[in-house]
Amino acid sequence: MASLFFFNFGGFFQASILIVNAMAILSEDRFLARIGWGSAQNEPAFGGMQDNASVKAKMINLINSVRTLMRIPLIFLNALIIVWAIAFG
Amino acid sequence: MQRGSYQMPPAHSPPLHHPVPQHISQVPNLRSPPPPASQNGYGYGGQQSPPQGQGGQAGYMPQFGGFMNDPTAQMGLQMGQSAMKVGQEYVEQNFNRYINVSALKHYFNVSNRYVLAKTTLVLFPWRHRPWSRSQTNTASPTHHGTTTTQFLPPREDVNSPDMYIPLMAFITYVLLTTLIAGLNGKFEPQLLGMTFSNASVVIVLELLVLWLGRYFLNISSESQIYDLVAYSGYKFVGVIVTVAVAAVVNRGKGTGGWVGWTVFAYTFMANAFFLLRSLKYVLLPPDNSPSNPSMQTIARGQRSRRTQFLFVYSYVVQFAFMWWLTALNFGGGFPVAGGKGMGKGRGGR
Repeated sequence: MASLFFFNFGGFFQASILIVNAMAILSEDRFLARIGWGSAQNEPAFGGMQDNASVKAKMINLINSVRTLMRIPLIFLNALIIVWAIAFG
Repeated sequence: MQRGSYQMPPAHSPPLHHPVPQHISQVPNLRSPPPPASQNGYGYGGQQSPPQGQGGQAGYMPQFGGFMNDPTAQMGLQMGQSAMKVGQEYVEQNFNRYINVSALKHYFNVSNRYVLAKTTLVLFPWRHRPWSRSQTNTASPTHHGTTTTQFLPPREDVNSPDMYIPLMAFITYVLLTTLIAGLNGKFEPQLLGMTFSNASVVIVLELLVLWLGRYFLNISSESQIYDLVAYSGYKFVGVIVTVAVAAVVNRGKGTGGWVGWTVFAYTFMANAFFLLRSLKYVLLPPDNSPSNPSMQTIARGQRSRRTQFLFVYSYVVQFAFMWWLTALNFGGGFPVAGGKGMGKGRGGR
């Protein structure tokens, strides 16, 4: 949107929306399951100990929650940015 | 005041300029329904009371004395007061859900001595000895038998982080860079906004790094995120020093050159050392911590991960951000160059 020299909120907003888009696009069964990053309930909790704290489990959790929570808001935010980009360059 | 004007015709009465209340506590009475007797008595008592020099509040009292006599007006006033109170509580409740205001107050509980000591500590942390924050053991009100440890506020503990210095340093940074641009003849009002947004985005990015670090490293307690936010603002002190010294030496031509880079390197190392020492106690609590039920012991793998994060954060991330904040060259090749904000229908600016 604006210059490269200064960060500004508009540019930051666009960049963050793009990154969140990237995280939300990752398909669960076509991609993540293939590389072993399927949803974290791989084995049902044996004795209550789930591997919830490792970095990999947290990343999986993060991607899953972004996908479920941000699907619908992302539609509106993307539409907003598209309209803005078309109207105002 | 209109009551005072009624005093003029009778020549024998003492020269009243305006009626005054008998005692100042009339003013706080506005919060609670005023006792009707005193107000009624005041309605025509003001004419007889001699002026006692506290004339300031007298301007309000006659008008209130006038309509408070009316019971419906009184009721309306009470309803208005209670509505305002309910509204305030509602706003506070909803606001407190997002920002914990009472926790924030702890960070602004500073004194002059603390500010001076902390600023010198940020710029010269090498000789400081005990870096741990002091704690007090107070008896917990909810679970009897256990003591909750609370950290001392910044007023009593130099090692405690505060938000006053980072906030002031942030504002000073924005104003200082704009001032330098102005001294170079390149001031424009949108420069203030651009610098502010730039520094704000730097802060937001740093918060993002901290939030991700906290999420992946399982740093749990809530006060710690505010501590990390406060610690991330201390680099502005070093940035201000760098920008100011470089501006003086380079005569405003930016922060390049020997002096600029030397000062930048020094403040960067000082800031990194300060963060390392301070955050060591936040992210890696010591193993032999006494009976604090909220702190769980951390596995060794996690400890090393947290240590790595701490090092990367203190050095690499801070270097990047501090460089970004100081390298914006407001003197010579200023990026605005007359073409950015105007014409061509560029969006967003």
